[in-house]
Amino acid sequence: MKLNERSVTHYALSDSPADHMGFLRTWGSPGTPPTPSGTGRRCWFVLKGNLLFSFESRKGRTPLSLVVLEGCTVELAEAPVPEEFAFAICFDAPGVHPHLLAAEGPAAQEAWVKALSRASFGYMRLVVRELESQLQDARQSLALQHHSSWKPAASCCKPQARNNQSVVLENGHPLSKDCSPVGLVEEAGSRSAGLGLAERELQGPASLLLGRGQSPVSPETSDFSTLHDWYGQEIMKLQQHWQQRAQGSQPECEEQDKP
Amino acid sequence: MRYNEKELQALSRQPAEMAAELGMRGPKKGSVLKRRLVKLVVNFLFYFRTDEAEPVGALLLERCRVTREEPGTFSISFVEDPERKYHFECSSEEQCQEWMEALRRASYEFMRRSLIFYRNEIRKVTGKDPLEQFGISEEARFQLSGLQA
Repeated sequence: MKLNERSVTHYALSDSPADHMGFLRTWGSPGTPPTPSGTGRRCWFVLKGNLLFSFESRKGRTPLSLVVLEGCTVELAEAPVPEEFAFAICFDAPGVHPHLLAAEGPAAQEAWVKALSRASFGYMRLVVRELESQLQDARQSLALQHHSSWKPAASCCKPQARNNQSVVLENGHPLSKDCSPVGLVEEAGSRSAGLGLAERELQGPASLLLGRGQSPVSPETSDFSTLHDWYGQEIMKLQQHWQQRAQGSQPECEEQDKP
Repeated sequence: MRYNEKELQALSRQPAEMAAELGMRGPKKGSVLKRRLVKLVVNFLFYFRTDEAEPVGALLLERCRVTREEPGTFSISFVEDPERKYHFECSSEEQCQEWMEALRRASYEFMRRSLIFYRNEIRKVTGKDPLEQFGISEEARFQLSGLQA
């Protein structure tokens, strides 16, 4: 199967955040069963997102191997030979052998198992969805608070500010409209009298994101509406848990995501 | 770089966010348009010959750029070589738009930015860190300092 290896290597070496790094001992190569004896080979491992790369050394310029951490579980393992601090990445696919790895101490072992267990795209997506809905709820309750104290201002500002935010989002997309995002953010700022901190401070993180040529995101965007359809059961559980904890201080919240 | 093809093959069989038969043309000069079943699974774009169960290839979608080309056509290229483009021909403008939107959101890095943005916004509005309740507030992957690239 072809893979855009040059781009993958570039991503591995880029300064985008590594989620975990360290020396691990490894047995065998991906795709072959681990050899039952030997102390393994000590390599420098870098975890970025859902991708685990290994290098000959910290300064390696080409990854030795890649493991895509989707559809797998990470378990503590019986090492071959008296190796302590071993763990395995196990895939639920036919003919795919577990990747056996050993850390240099108990703390490192624990840290790696945790980091690898949370590496999947699905896990990140779950957390993003949860935070997106929490932000919507928090802003709604804030707007409602202001609405009751500054009724006329809030009722005319709120819908307009929403429009502003979706325009800012669209401008953040590469290759679309050419309005200056800075100008629009200033507008949002000046209309924020009837609203909370949230809209006024959109400038901060939005400019952070815009500066990198990436789309800024906002709860008012339809972009994330597709994220709402992913994890019915788990997301409902998380939301219930959060709502129970926040009970009492929350007015009725609009239930927007349906699985 | 070694990787386990079986692992990627298994991934290509996971539920896809988007899947469709599109015209695809590789980045080399003189490549011909071919019909491919194109499937978006997490941050990978797999492409299959229309009658085969295993993918011909996969594209990791980190640091990619999705560009509108002719009407109904878009391309994917990568930050380190923006002129090297994979072209995709859709059957309608709507389909083209749908794919472009999905591909722009498909990277892990995009999700990370979204998460960090939401986390920060929630902190500002509520004064609380929303990740604390899940016990993950100290995880490296969720830190604002991670936004360097």
